[in-house]
Amino acid sequence: MKCLKTLLVAAGLTIFASVNALAADVKVIANSSVKADTISAAELKRVFLEEKISLDGTHVEPILEKDGPVHEAFLQEYLGLSEDDLQAYYSTLVFTGRGFMPKALGSDAEVVAYVARTRGAIGYVSRATSVEGVKTLAIWVPGSSPERKLITRVEPDYPETLKRLNICGTVRLQVSISAKGNVEDVELLGGNPILGESAAAAVKKWVYAAGRSRTIAEISILFDAQR
Amino acid sequence: MHRRILGLVFAYFFAGQLTLQAEDFKLLDRDVAIHGFASQGFVYTNTNNWLTMNTSQGSAAFTDFGVNVSTSVTDKLRVGAQLYDRNLGQLGQYHPSLDWAVADYRFRSWFGIRGGKVKTTLGLYTDTQDLDFLHAFALLPQSVYPTDLREATIAHLGGDVYGSLPLSHGLGGLAYTAYAGHRSDSVYSGYPYLLSQFGTYLKSYGGLQYGVDLRWRTPVKGLLIGASRMNEDITARGSALNPFDPLDRISYSEYSKADWTNQFYAQYTVGKLRIDSEYRRYLRDQVLYSGASENVCDVRGWYVSGAYRITKRLELGSYYSRYTVTSVFGGALGTLIPKQTDTSLPANHIYDKVITARVDLKKFWDVKVEGHFMNGYAYSTYPDGFYPQVNPQGFKPNTNALVVKTGVNF
Repeated sequence: MKCLKTLLVAAGLTIFASVNALAADVKVIANSSVKADTISAAELKRVFLEEKISLDGTHVEPILEKDGPVHEAFLQEYLGLSEDDLQAYYSTLVFTGRGFMPKALGSDAEVVAYVARTRGAIGYVSRATSVEGVKTLAIWVPGSSPERKLITRVEPDYPETLKRLNICGTVRLQVSISAKGNVEDVELLGGNPILGESAAAAVKKWVYAAGRSRTIAEISILFDAQR
Repeated sequence: MHRRILGLVFAYFFAGQLTLQAEDFKLLDRDVAIHGFASQGFVYTNTNNWLTMNTSQGSAAFTDFGVNVSTSVTDKLRVGAQLYDRNLGQLGQYHPSLDWAVADYRFRSWFGIRGGKVKTTLGLYTDTQDLDFLHAFALLPQSVYPTDLREATIAHLGGDVYGSLPLSHGLGGLAYTAYAGHRSDSVYSGYPYLLSQFGTYLKSYGGLQYGVDLRWRTPVKGLLIGASRMNEDITARGSALNPFDPLDRISYSEYSKADWTNQFYAQYTVGKLRIDSEYRRYLRDQVLYSGASENVCDVRGWYVSGAYRITKRLELGSYYSRYTVTSVFGGALGTLIPKQTDTSLPANHIYDKVITARVDLKKFWDVKVEGHFMNGYAYSTYPDGFYPQVNPQGFKPNTNALVVKTGVNF
């Protein structure tokens, strides 16, 4: 009996861990016409709920995946809705003349291809997906400070040994940005520590637009050995 | 004919021969989307006939369907239209109507305009009350969403300004809609049908409708609260029996002295549980018989509902709905008709306890089985489900109803 309980707990923990892992494995991509490099979680939700129609003056159009773990992770992490609730929400818009059913595509590759060729398109794919031809939007921590526009971005070095060994993944960092726009502090939240060190070194050189006060943001950087 | 077509469609679904999906096609290099829905219900009551159907014998005269087409003309401009048709006992009678036809221009996220025939925003579900597939319940709480009176609030010919904006300091977000236009009821709707018992037949019923809705997505995750206000100036024209010569007909008109609705609502969603609650007060001071009489009708309704999705295919729900009405006549009729002000009487209230089960057989196809346990029948000068024409033997104080409904959408 005790053994069964242990097994159940272990199974529960495994499921929980996998859901969280999936959530962290989603990245948001946009057509190159979208001027913004960053988007807050709140803005992302408003874009996908068709409440927000532009980002930095560019018209945006949400693109969904039809189903699958990436889709579920995105809904859970960023929209806080189940698939049924989301479909009901879009149906309300469609059947009252207040909105449209976003295009839903069958795979990461289809989403990347569609976003790449469609002005203003914003979608999501798994972290591992190659995103050639589109830009990746950094996502700000929900409920944290207001968005700060990134002015200077320095790409991190990909340590040659890790790249050769195909050690890749996403590094999550918490960044403290001064009112003037300089990065004051970087803290590694998740990911490979060596990649994290490289990412932190690069991010410390980033420069943001001046703001009213010091702000905290969470950013994700992808290290893709195939690129 | 309509029933036969619908019967065939449903038969195909039951046989599993069809799947449904939205249709998209290109027109002048623009994506055009077509969506639709249909539902068919059956109602059985143990005593009074309900919703103008012969429900004490069991009635399937409970059908509706709609189809819409829409497209984006530019990034900011969308156009679309929806046709809707229904038959509910003596109402609707398969006279199709343009449900909405809208041109919508969104200048900014926080400011847009839409014009044409526009769905009216009033509370949580006025604009989606026909969309059976969106709701856990076969019948929304009739104290706030009386299906026999859907046309009183469903749409207006005019315009809306609307928008949504996030609030700073993590205070959530606000969405607003302000509207003005002309409401026009079909003569096959509840109020004209009610009047027909007196030999009064309306040729037109409608008028100015304007209002505002404000809803706040609060910082508490899943909690939405809001308020709506609607004012109306309604005129009816038709003919009535001459009280001095029953073989003669005279022209009949009525118009609003005051007509307003206040609605307050809250919705809380957590996980698979959704809880709704709304309160609506509708005050109608109507001058009747071309100025000879006046009637003040005060309608108050509220409900609390909960629905929980047990599995992907099964959702259970329940609500308690409370409706009261008072009616006071002035002028000539004031001397003849006593005041109806005691809301504890079954004639002036409907208290409805409801349980429901919704089964989603497919993504596009659901079946609902629902039980209503009603006390009161609220037979007044403004209707709410119970009509004397289909209850010639008089009303019983309690009514239990079984509602079975199935619907599809694409």
